[in-house]
Amino acid sequence: MTPWQFGRRALQALLAAFMIIIVAFVLVHLAPGDAVLAIAGEHGDAAYYAFMRARFGLDAPLPEQLLTYLVRVLQGDFGQSYVHGRAVAAIIAERIPATLLLTGSALLLSVGGGIPLGVAAARRSGRRGDAAITIGALALHASPAFWVAQLTIVAFAFRLGWFPVQGMETAGGVHGLGAVGDVLRHLALPALVLASQQLAAIVRLTRSGLIIELWSDHVRTARAKGLSDRVVTWRHALPRALLPVATIVGARAGHLLAGAVIVEAVFGWPGLGRLLLDALQSRDTPILLGLFFVVSLAVIVSNILTDVAHAAMDPRVANR
Amino acid sequence: MPLRFGCAPRQATAHTRLYVNEGNRVAEVNPCRRLAAALVGTSLLLGACNGRDADPRPGVLIAAIPGAPAHLNPAITTNGGVHAAADLLYDGLLGLDEQQRPVPALATRWEVLDGGAQYVFHLRQGVRWHDGQAFSAADVVYSFTDVLLRFHSRTRASLGPVVDSIVAPDDSTVVFHLRQPYAPLLQQLDVVEAPILPRHVYAGTDPQINPANNAPVGTGPFRFVESRPGAELRYAANPDYFGGAPGVSQLILRVIPDPGTQVIALEAGEVDWLYGVPGAERARLLRTPHLKFIETALNAGGSNCVTTVAFNLDRPVFHDVRMRRALTHAVDRQQFADRVLFAQGTAASGPIASALVPSPSGNVVLPAHDPRKAGELLDALGWHRPTTGMRVARDVAGVPDGTPLLVSFKQLASFAAYGDLLRAQWRAVGVDLSIETLETAVFVEDVFTARNFDTAIISYCNGFDPQIGVRRQYASASIGPVPFSNAAGYRDAVMDSLFDAAGSTLDPAARSRTYDVIQRRAVDSLPYLWLTDGINTRAYRDRCTGLSPGPHFAARARCGQ
Amino acid sequence: MSRIAEELTAAELQSAPLVPPADWRRQLGRSRNAWVGAGILLMLVGVAVLAPWLAPADPFAITGPGLSPPSAAHPFGTDALGRDLFSATLRGARVSLLVAATVAALVLAIGGAVGVIGGYAGGKVDAALTRVTEMFQVLPRFFLTIIVIALFGPGLDRIVLTLGLTSWPTLARVVRGETRALRGLGFLRAAEASGASPVRVLVREIIPNVLPAALVVVGLAVGQVLLLEASLGFLGLGDPEHVSWGSLAGQAQGFLRVAWWLPLFPGLAITAAVLGFNLLADALTEVLAGR
Repeated sequence: MTPWQFGRRALQALLAAFMIIIVAFVLVHLAPGDAVLAIAGEHGDAAYYAFMRARFGLDAPLPEQLLTYLVRVLQGDFGQSYVHGRAVAAIIAERIPATLLLTGSALLLSVGGGIPLGVAAARRSGRRGDAAITIGALALHASPAFWVAQLTIVAFAFRLGWFPVQGMETAGGVHGLGAVGDVLRHLALPALVLASQQLAAIVRLTRSGLIIELWSDHVRTARAKGLSDRVVTWRHALPRALLPVATIVGARAGHLLAGAVIVEAVFGWPGLGRLLLDALQSRDTPILLGLFFVVSLAVIVSNILTDVAHAAMDPRVANR
Repeated sequence: MPLRFGCAPRQATAHTRLYVNEGNRVAEVNPCRRLAAALVGTSLLLGACNGRDADPRPGVLIAAIPGAPAHLNPAITTNGGVHAAADLLYDGLLGLDEQQRPVPALATRWEVLDGGAQYVFHLRQGVRWHDGQAFSAADVVYSFTDVLLRFHSRTRASLGPVVDSIVAPDDSTVVFHLRQPYAPLLQQLDVVEAPILPRHVYAGTDPQINPANNAPVGTGPFRFVESRPGAELRYAANPDYFGGAPGVSQLILRVIPDPGTQVIALEAGEVDWLYGVPGAERARLLRTPHLKFIETALNAGGSNCVTTVAFNLDRPVFHDVRMRRALTHAVDRQQFADRVLFAQGTAASGPIASALVPSPSGNVVLPAHDPRKAGELLDALGWHRPTTGMRVARDVAGVPDGTPLLVSFKQLASFAAYGDLLRAQWRAVGVDLSIETLETAVFVEDVFTARNFDTAIISYCNGFDPQIGVRRQYASASIGPVPFSNAAGYRDAVMDSLFDAAGSTLDPAARSRTYDVIQRRAVDSLPYLWLTDGINTRAYRDRCTGLSPGPHFAARARCGQ
Repeated sequence: MSRIAEELTAAELQSAPLVPPADWRRQLGRSRNAWVGAGILLMLVGVAVLAPWLAPADPFAITGPGLSPPSAAHPFGTDALGRDLFSATLRGARVSLLVAATVAALVLAIGGAVGVIGGYAGGKVDAALTRVTEMFQVLPRFFLTIIVIALFGPGLDRIVLTLGLTSWPTLARVVRGETRALRGLGFLRAAEASGASPVRVLVREIIPNVLPAALVVVGLAVGQVLLLEASLGFLGLGDPEHVSWGSLAGQAQGFLRVAWWLPLFPGLAITAAVLGFNLLADALTEVLAGR
């Protein structure tokens, strides 16, 4: 990819991000209901509402509000939250690490678990073990996340006591080195539940890719050289079978910021998904828009990076 | 935590055995072996055995809250989440005891003068803010005039019109000059309605964005230590609290949004206190060892709440009181208490929450559940029931014959079960209900601003005095674009003057008689259908004692091993 | 994140031979997974069609005590209010499958049209359509759905529209890729050279070859739609006017530990339907990839 191509791609991406933010702005502001009424709660009076409206700049005409907003976003300012009384960027930023930790671990777990299971299924292709793995992974994929989450909590955290029930760290916090282990113990269940939801796709693609590769010429050559089955599978066939998995996972990495609304809600995980639900409940429009923009931007950036990496690896893609 | 995978079979300790008593065989299997088998290649699980949080620590109380409060300034909002968390850090001039009578807090004595038009408060000596500064009358005057009467919507709406001036003749006295006698003032000065902020922190700033909203300085039993965004708030006991230092050294408010998870966390000992339990789980929890309960009508978002269906009186179909009466006869209130609230509440006994009218005169009787009578009334109105299906119009003025009787019903998502049950009960007498779930801002706009609804369900929290929470439902002045005001659009000059009279009467017996008349008048005209009186169940682990249902629930708590 | 399955399959389809095997239908008929998937879906459709006659009670009416476990009178038990869960689950099949079918139709129509037109026309049209597709691809689908349903109120129409309007980009990309590659093949050039109109080429040559791959992507997307609808129910954003498996599953969340039958039956229904769509889609992928 030449710098010029890269620049063009980045510019297009930026335009897309602004289109998205405009659509989101219009959508949120055209929605029925008055944010000020939601913020004020019970009682109140007309003067109070007018006062609050003026305060949040909601008394200006919509195009003017949009323009003000866009100019501010260009300067990196996402405005003030209606209810927190703080900058939106700060509120979103402090939730990003928790979300990335959860979704990133889940992705690693599903890849780390899905590939060996896919290999196992491929090597038992057509036999009972294959069907068991495939159906098991599909059934997890086909069950609503909120039940898998709560049943997992009841079974593994409550009855068996292997994991904490909820949260990201022990109440009151743990000091020193123990803190890392503490977060990991809290992370295990939600990350596993989230991973289980996409395990099926990775198992399936690994399995089918590997079946093809195992019959390919270069694998047969390797076999003919007398290499063991295990070596052939893991060293020769698997790397080629995994290329599509890697590309897709990379391209989807930006969506990790969209988090896991459901899993975060059930496990009490303090991430962006929860922030979204809270912001919806209080009609905190600046936070909603900020979240939308950040997530879209992350997706765009990760797409470009994947493209660049892909182009570097495979020259044919560069001039697509 | 050692970084190793293999570990010995976990022995159920005395503490954990409590929770594996339902035929569970924890100790028989090696959990790690199963774990290793089940979770292939998950390096993240290092040390995942022995997973439950550390045993409860003496002196530390952990309470679950459903959401992270947006900030901790209780004087600028009526938001229940903010108050549940922030009220622990602050005080009002007065407190309210369990019978909701005023008791001393920042003020130790008070006098009611001028027939109820002037109140004098004598402040407590030697009170200090958490940062060491002395508390004085200037803080009280600042809090009311610059913050509460501007930003606290409920206090602004109820006191704004009656307060003439609030002055501090000296450092330890505050005088409220009112425009007219006002009886319920003393019920509106607690930490929920009127928390007192530190003037030295807030004066000259915008109280909505002052940094202290996220690191508050109060006078309350606990002081703020730190917050983990979206996860928990950490407080420490205020050793100099004027009411005595709390018996716990640390109070942690843990954010757990899912009610099911909250319950499991309580059972597992990860939290000690829940502000409420889901109805469906209540019966099971009552039988669970080591849990205790407090039933209360108090609630951080509003107390003494009556769940009410409003008839939009602007709609022709509800112009005739017989229609409202028919629909009231069709309703089985007890079924709502049993199947929607699971006994966390009772069938409504009248228009005003039963706790606020302690000695019902027996004159207030709501129409009983009587589907047959409902049917007769509907027939008489011209809505007839074909052999199958819902009622249709036959000779109803202004309605074409054959029009089905379909009533629209607007609700917030949290009322879904009410809507479902009401639809079932009304359909049983041939009245169909079309339910619309709306988000708060939309609901408020549709119902109170646009008045675009047939019926709507609202939880009217009556507060500690009918003037605060009941009057707004009936006063003709409160028809209009104010959330949770007079949804029915009920207009009655007699009713207006009855409320005026009750508000300026100081004698409790005389007020009580007036509210009796008000209730009977409301039942005669049925602008609303009163369903249930709510009760909240607080649940806590029995290692803690001395907990109470009020806003300072943990001020006298002690938590042992 | 749920789109990973669709994306992975899309990648797999793009590496598959361009023209599906001539006997792909027959090959599909030999796949056991395809038969199981089709069997499940046929049964569910049958239930949906016959629901009004099969269901013993009005799913909105109180017909028994609250929270009673399965019995002869109530084969699936009753919910907290005393409504018959068996009737509700049967009725739910209608709404859930209707939602799934409508979203599928929208996705096929939008994604198919965008893909075929872009791939066939090429040039500026293709570039513009690709930009639009990319923009939609970037949208966080579940975020957007939650926001729309929360702000505009619950309703099946909104769920169908939001999910339909956000689920098509993967399909469009697959279809565009296939169409573009097909254009380069000899038989299309021959058809064009013999004077066939572009519409005729599209209908006779391109769509039949692209359709099987499109069906795979739609099948996977539809499975996700059922789960998304359930998640909305869990968040309290279900449509109270219609009984669907998703709304039943969402309501059951509060009763997981007190009434096992409430989550079990609607849950089995959802899982079966998603499994049915996935098995069928997977079997079709295998055939198309020539395994």
